[in-house]
Amino acid sequence: MSFINEILNYDSLSIVGMQKNTGKTVSLNYVLDCLPIDRKRVAVTSIGIDGETTDQVTRTRKPEITLRQGMYFGTSEMHYRQRKIVSELIDVSDEHTSLGRVVTAKALTGGKILLSGPSSASGLKRWMKDMRRLGIDMVIIDGALSRLSLASPAVSQSMILATGAAYSTNMNTLVQQTAFVVELINLGLTGQENLQRLMPIEKGVWYTDSEGALHEIRTVSSLSQEMRFEGMDDCRILYVAGALVDSFLEKVRKNPKLKTVEIVVRDFTKLFVTPQQYRMFVKSGGSIRVLQKSKLIAVTVNPTSPTGYVMDSDRLCGRLSEAIQLPVYDLMKNGACN
Amino acid sequence: MQLRENTESPCGLRYMLDRLELQSGYARRWLLDMPMMRTGEEIARAYATLRLFSDFIARVDAPVLQTLQFRLQGLKDIRTTLRNLENQAVLDDIELFEVKHLAMLAADVAERVQTCGLDRAVAIPDVNEVIAILDPDGLKMASFYVYDSYCQELRDLRSQMRQHPERQEKLLSECAEIEEGVRRDLSKRLHPFAKALAEAQTALAQMDVNFAKALQINQLGLCFPQIARDGITRYEAMFHPQVKETLEGRKQHFQPVSIAFGKRPTLVTGANMGGKTVVLKALALCQYLFQYGFGIPAAQADIALKDEIHFCIGDEQSIEKGLSSFAAEMQHIDAVIKASRKQVQLLALIDEPARTTNPTEGTALVSALVKVLRGDNVSLVMTTHYDIGLTDARCLRVKGFENGAMNYELVEVQDGEVPHEALHIAESLGIDAEWISEAREILIRENPPQLINNKQ
Repeated sequence: MSFINEILNYDSLSIVGMQKNTGKTVSLNYVLDCLPIDRKRVAVTSIGIDGETTDQVTRTRKPEITLRQGMYFGTSEMHYRQRKIVSELIDVSDEHTSLGRVVTAKALTGGKILLSGPSSASGLKRWMKDMRRLGIDMVIIDGALSRLSLASPAVSQSMILATGAAYSTNMNTLVQQTAFVVELINLGLTGQENLQRLMPIEKGVWYTDSEGALHEIRTVSSLSQEMRFEGMDDCRILYVAGALVDSFLEKVRKNPKLKTVEIVVRDFTKLFVTPQQYRMFVKSGGSIRVLQKSKLIAVTVNPTSPTGYVMDSDRLCGRLSEAIQLPVYDLMKNGACN
Repeated sequence: MQLRENTESPCGLRYMLDRLELQSGYARRWLLDMPMMRTGEEIARAYATLRLFSDFIARVDAPVLQTLQFRLQGLKDIRTTLRNLENQAVLDDIELFEVKHLAMLAADVAERVQTCGLDRAVAIPDVNEVIAILDPDGLKMASFYVYDSYCQELRDLRSQMRQHPERQEKLLSECAEIEEGVRRDLSKRLHPFAKALAEAQTALAQMDVNFAKALQINQLGLCFPQIARDGITRYEAMFHPQVKETLEGRKQHFQPVSIAFGKRPTLVTGANMGGKTVVLKALALCQYLFQYGFGIPAAQADIALKDEIHFCIGDEQSIEKGLSSFAAEMQHIDAVIKASRKQVQLLALIDEPARTTNPTEGTALVSALVKVLRGDNVSLVMTTHYDIGLTDARCLRVKGFENGAMNYELVEVQDGEVPHEALHIAESLGIDAEWISEAREILIRENPPQLINNKQ
């Protein structure tokens, strides 16, 4: 399928699910199966524990991660000892997980493994740096439940989003919610001059005036009810380094002087806003932009929910594709590499 | 006493440790586990080695040093694995990888050390035999698995596995048995090298620490100390690196202090803000640095060895525990007195004892303390604001206000009388004039005139 070639343009790919059982592992296995590894040295890991044979939360069967000969992988000491392949250890890191240190190895035969990589974003970044040092061209990260934040563009350049009936068995809701997440992932970058000076600022709420000068707003946090926008008559850009939530967005929208402001956040994982508030904000003239973005390569769907409900795959793919203007794949149904 | 037990001493040892450019976490752990050196031979040997490193850094080009330091980043803490090897356990793949990684690192660093002439300062045992055992194909790669070359049968099974993936599971379990046999054999062959590997690991950590200490000497302008054999510690132009940095950050200058002390109790008096506490902090810091083999923040230092170092300063931790400041202080000093009764060499640095109680009893407590801590085995330096009259103690005084500026130099005084500059200094700080003049009037009313005129 065409999106495999697109993946090759990036050094890193994360695969994240809107919910557990949305087919993330299927998508990962598909990518691992189809990547031309004779052209690229590929290493795969996961955030936290993954690759269990049964799902820890819902106790349903889960596909294992299948490696091809020549691929590299990062997993915990415990899962390394349980591997079902022949592999050569190339690194034992100082990164600790609840299952021991993260070790990296090269698969000398194909086979199944359990993945459990670094458990924090900073640990993952260090592991990725180690991989570059070891001559790896591309890193694939298997995201975990409710850890969308680790798909952060600060970590990976490109991503695949897995969605499906596990998220909602109502097709309208599923399409709308997925389309909203895709919209946030695809938010545009802010202007070049803002990128450079805002990137190093990792906390606080800031704004620029009409002359371009940067000011910090003295507040506890952007979540605070005490947030006031005083003396900001000529505010052009409002930068929120932390999380952006509904109440903040509402306050900005209701302030007549800030109606058409551009809000900048670090990346889409910092957005915790509902579609309703976001739409009203945009409608009244505001916009949200990001400092970092990763390229959404494809959306995959799993039409089967863990409770056994099955959606019509073709209709789901068609409606979602129309809503997000991106190709959508059901890899369980059409998952063979060509 | 291990270094890690003293890192939070209020003298500021933490600052010095934080400014060590160590390359590996293991070296830091090794350093923190280091016991305090207590014999002259140990200390002399440590500084002789450190000097070799210092000379080396001055001699070689930066890239040579950087390459060595970069290699040391690969040092890992594999003590558990080495213990397993020592205890004749069968090592698993991860442990064998660790052993191979350490052996290759040790061999590589040993060769570099030889080439650049640092081999007098570093002794890394020869572990090439270990590499030969764990690298049967001579690939010289720091990776590991149970190689095909260890066993023909394993090679055959694995090649079948590649040809018949459908039989992989069954073949894998056959392989697993053979691999376990290979690992058992490897562990047995490696067992005799357990001690050499542990020594190599320590030697590499020591090397990392010595590079960091030698670089710190250059960066902070420290000196190599002499061991004082006469029991008298002498510092020329001693400074406190952390306080110096803070002052320089405010565009102020740190005035170094010269001081000698030892057999007789030494009292430091002087005005408020005269830097008395900083002197004590620096003395405590220097003594620790000396006994753990670091560079000393002074132009010149002759330091007497001690068995125990006691630094008593308003102890906020005890106050947090619910003790009053007075109770906390008394208990701390009590520990010093008890220690002084053991036959050990003691450095006691006490900052303004009994400062929080009334002056009458405070003066009595301080005078008595000087008497109690007069033993031959105690070097006492104490700061105080109290007039404790004539004792056999040496009295040093911070020079104090001179031509409108503070002079922090210490001068020896005969009478032991403390200066009365508090009002003067408060005035120079711009403190409320009404308060100060009110205080002055009370002083004039209630005290003999010579006291008030002192130093004014």
